Amino acid sequence: MVRPNLQLQFAHSPVLPYGLGGTSFAIALGLALLAERYGFRNVEVPLFLFAITLTVWYAGSGPAILAVVLSSSAFDYFFTEPRYSFYVTRSELPNYAVFVLFALLLTWFATVRRRIEADLLQARDKLEIEVKERTQQASLLNLTHDTIFVRDMSDVITYWNRGAQELYGWTAEDAIGKNSQQLLQTVFPVAIDDIRAELLRTDRWEGELKKTRADGTHVVVASRWSLRRDEQGRAVAILDTNNDITERKRREQEIESLNQELAKRSTELESTNKELEAFAYSVSHDLRAPLRHMAGYTELLQKKESSGLDQKSNHYILMMLESAKRMGNLIDDLLAFSRIGRSETQKTMVSLEQLVREALAEVRQDTEGRNIVWTIGALPDFYGDRSMVRLVLVNLISNAIKFTRTRAHAEIEIGCANGDKDTLVVFVRDNGVGFDMKYVNKLFGVFQRLHQSDEFEGTGIGLATVQRIIHRHGGKVWAEGMVDSGATFYFSAPRPEGQIWRA
Amino acid sequence: MESMNKLGRILMVEDDPKDVELTLTALEEYNLANEVVVTRDGEQALDYLHCRGEYKTRSGGNPAVMLLDLKLPKVDGLEVLKQIKSDGELRMIPVVVLTSSKEEKDMVASYKLGVNAYVVKPVDFHEFVNAIKELGVFWAVINEPPPGSVRK
Repeated sequence: MVRPNLQLQFAHSPVLPYGLGGTSFAIALGLALLAERYGFRNVEVPLFLFAITLTVWYAGSGPAILAVVLSSSAFDYFFTEPRYSFYVTRSELPNYAVFVLFALLLTWFATVRRRIEADLLQARDKLEIEVKERTQQASLLNLTHDTIFVRDMSDVITYWNRGAQELYGWTAEDAIGKNSQQLLQTVFPVAIDDIRAELLRTDRWEGELKKTRADGTHVVVASRWSLRRDEQGRAVAILDTNNDITERKRREQEIESLNQELAKRSTELESTNKELEAFAYSVSHDLRAPLRHMAGYTELLQKKESSGLDQKSNHYILMMLESAKRMGNLIDDLLAFSRIGRSETQKTMVSLEQLVREALAEVRQDTEGRNIVWTIGALPDFYGDRSMVRLVLVNLISNAIKFTRTRAHAEIEIGCANGDKDTLVVFVRDNGVGFDMKYVNKLFGVFQRLHQSDEFEGTGIGLATVQRIIHRHGGKVWAEGMVDSGATFYFSAPRPEGQIWRA
Repeated sequence: MESMNKLGRILMVEDDPKDVELTLTALEEYNLANEVVVTRDGEQALDYLHCRGEYKTRSGGNPAVMLLDLKLPKVDGLEVLKQIKSDGELRMIPVVVLTSSKEEKDMVASYKLGVNAYVVKPVDFHEFVNAIKELGVFWAVINEPPPGSVRK
């Protein structure tokens, strides 16, 4: 759109415009002299004025002034009496003055005209640039995949971008000029009057709207409205930006229904837990009572008849009492085991070294008369339920004491094994009777025992309890052993945040 | 006997006849059984304490100690405990919960209601007899019961 501009071209060099002034003057003078020679009189004035006009038109005011000066001098010299002299007689003076005045007037008039035309041109160029920018902006709006459309205050669509076409399926030709709420069958969450009131008050509105596409499917959009006002502050248009949130809404609903399901499940679980608790309570109370009675009456019988009973009968009574006691222990252990599953863990930072000391104090009476070499390494802090972790250590340590009973020199080591930066690993190692790795997966099951009960007593719940506690702490338990060569029990747990790990 | 004169009355609330028999046997061994009143459920125990129902005609006075089982027909042990400890006349009676249950929540609930002691009945009879004996000797003989208790 570059328009050739003569004035601008001449302006770059002063020679050309002044040359044009000089040349047009010279041609006018030549023509006037020629015309005079052939008897045509009084053509010089229009010729000079024409030359001046030509100069002012194409070369600007400077060269025009030059042309005026040259023309008036030549007019005086060649065409006013006395001829061939610059002297002007009194009678010719008005003629001459009128010519000069006319020439100057013409120059001034042409200059003004030129300026007005230049202004007009400039204004047009500015307008063109602006139109170009606007067009670019509009096409930028068109580039975005966001849905943008503009409607006037009676909801008639005036602009419709590509995003709008993609979302709603209507082209700009379809949409522009239509009522947007009718075209898109907008469903408002609240009264439209309230929305309009808010829009007019705050110049904006945001909300979720349900709309219908060209193909009849529904879409939920997050809609933002911005009000445009004219210079007088009157509301003239609404810029409507829409984002498709159908998928998000669907996921939200999915999450909500999942949450409801979860809540239902956890209520069920809670009631199951309550039942279990009631069951455990009954076991605690109702199973122990008859057991106590059996033991009580057996003992009374023993007391009453001890002198009259033979050795075998006394042995039977002893076995009955022992069995009752064993069942009592079983019930107690089972209850403790079930309690771990039911009670909340109260996690704090606990010092494993402190807990090991406490556990050792608790099992001290089992070590009386024994020759045990203890090796206790440096132990890290542990994030867990203090009493539960203590129970883990008590169980593992008393196991180690129990299964080294046949050793003249028992060795028990407690330490921290190589974990990694996220996990800490603690082990309890003994040089006791060990176990066959073939049965390693049975070790941690409830009531699973790898030794005959007359060899090593126990209910078979201790390691199950250990496993249950460690699982509740997000860790693992495992063991390594060999028949007659000792055993090592490991448990791992997530390392507390910020704990420094050294390999 | 001097000590017999100071023996306080023991109110036992226990629904299981075998437990009653074993407890009485244990108390008998230490000559503490004479002043034991046995009630078989919570309602009966409260009737006794309030001198009403079948105990309308009993001579008044509070027991020196009450051995209370928690799992009882009609009115359970915790409810009996609650009523006693919120009654101006009865709240001074020392109450010992004697139960099979090792449940922590029962223990906490009992102490919150103001129980004076909480004893879990041991399965082992020796231990059971010892526990009963020590309870009987402590509460019925050694302890000075509150004024108004029945003593012999």
